[in-house]
Amino acid sequence: MKMIASTGGKGGTGKSTFAILSALKFSNQGKKVLLCDCDVECPNDHLLLGKELRESEPIYQDLPELDAEKCVSCGTCSKVCKENAIFWVKGKTPIIFEDLCIGCGACWIVCPQNAIKRKEKVVGETFETKISENLWLLTGVSEPGVSETGPIVKEAKKRALKLAKRIGAEILIIDTAPGTHCNVIQALLGCEKAYVVTEPTPLGAHDAALILDLLKMMNIRSEIVLNKADIGSEALIKKIADEYDVPITIRIPYSEKVIRAYSEGRLDRIVGLV
Amino acid sequence: MKIVVASGKGGTGKSMLASSLSLLFSEITSIVACDCDVDAPNLGLWLGITTYDSVEAISTSEKAEIDSEKCVGCGKCFDNCLFGAIEKADSKFFVNGLLCEGCGVCKIVCSACAINLAPVMNGEIRIKKTIWGFPLVSGQLKPGETGSGKIVQELRKRADQLSHNVMILDAAAGIGCPVIASIVGCDYAVLVTEPTPSGFSDLERVLKIVNYFRVPYGIVLNKWDINPEVSQKIEKWSGEKFLGKISYDREVVNSIVNLRPVIVSKSKVKKEIKEIFEKIKELI
Repeated sequence: MKMIASTGGKGGTGKSTFAILSALKFSNQGKKVLLCDCDVECPNDHLLLGKELRESEPIYQDLPELDAEKCVSCGTCSKVCKENAIFWVKGKTPIIFEDLCIGCGACWIVCPQNAIKRKEKVVGETFETKISENLWLLTGVSEPGVSETGPIVKEAKKRALKLAKRIGAEILIIDTAPGTHCNVIQALLGCEKAYVVTEPTPLGAHDAALILDLLKMMNIRSEIVLNKADIGSEALIKKIADEYDVPITIRIPYSEKVIRAYSEGRLDRIVGLV
Repeated sequence: MKIVVASGKGGTGKSMLASSLSLLFSEITSIVACDCDVDAPNLGLWLGITTYDSVEAISTSEKAEIDSEKCVGCGKCFDNCLFGAIEKADSKFFVNGLLCEGCGVCKIVCSACAINLAPVMNGEIRIKKTIWGFPLVSGQLKPGETGSGKIVQELRKRADQLSHNVMILDAAAGIGCPVIASIVGCDYAVLVTEPTPSGFSDLERVLKIVNYFRVPYGIVLNKWDINPEVSQKIEKWSGEKFLGKISYDREVVNSIVNLRPVIVSKSKVKKEIKEIFEKIKELI
């Protein structure tokens, strides 16, 4: 199975649009395709396909819970917490701030009294949606307020790989979040090729360079998809493409038709564009 | 007074609006602009900045290193790493720096004391006076590094030290750590959306964060005329929180190609943004 990514650094360049159009194109050709929406903070692929998400499967993560009876207020937990999520004053029982906690487990591992238990918390969920005979969508969604979303992407991808096996997918398309940090890195991991979707503006060029830096570090082969290709200035992107020795292989023109299909959740109408 | 511009969805026009609001506020008071999208910082470009005079490398994260001489291959680090950052090769274990969050769990569980945590220079903070007279503080997370939320915290500290009455913060897309770090402690949030199912869905998601931190907010609808029907729905849904709408205008693209805020362009959206600014001014 091939695993490819649609990414781009900047937001709103058309990552999801490109991922969906590609998924529709391959599935229309008779290939079995799984699309995995890894933009777990703001997942939208289902909306662009006009589908509702049903039957969620929760993603759990262990978080610490302090047993005040057992705690001897030694402060060891607070000292190991790199996120400063445990507040402790000498002689007092520590206070755990769940909002800051990333659930790494350092505190319950070090507690000499075993006073910190793990409790399961739902940090996100996944949804499986059958779009057509050949196309499935797996959507990862983070619980609002959860700050560390990399592990949610990791779990969503794990489930996507399982689903891909079950349905016999030939292509797995990963749709990443904007940006270049942990949630995007998790999404790109293991992809054999990445399509960097950008737009011909200084913003697109700037952010494309950042994601190309990351892709280079990850040894992932890349191509540039130029969206809204006929507005702005293609020379800006050409310069970046040359600098990184990455070809611009696909150009999607700006069109009212695309915008309408996007805003109506009917990307299937413009599948001929890629 | 701290005003954050956020949206959940990317590409809705956060930096476009933040740059114009910065200019408008700078005409009436002293301001500092903060680019809190440390993954893909673009506010500087909107304000005409392509190079920075002062660049300060900072470290807000650590990464684990395994001494392969000492590693006995017990695998405890591998079993306990939440981030999947430990990899196995030839019965020894290695850290994948791209995934390591520096939490230190591996070091704690290591039975051979083979793991160390070392600070990494994971980002930069850059300050420059814009041609518009006010300073911009911008952060940049190095590609492949972690700790974007902490870089936002650092750059906000730097901005706090510059004298100002109003701080304009331009948040990243999404609702995760860097966005939370941008919204927390702000006095007002301007939430930018667009009339698409995604724009609306992501607005609802970022609103959960804004409400959680009890930040008063208003909603701006950008590119409203690409789907007037959905726009009407969002406007109605927003109720008294509605700050105004901005038209879709290709002149906005020309503005950014010329690295100038739309508020000094010929675009028709100038007037619309001015009205939004007047409304925000009254509210805060």
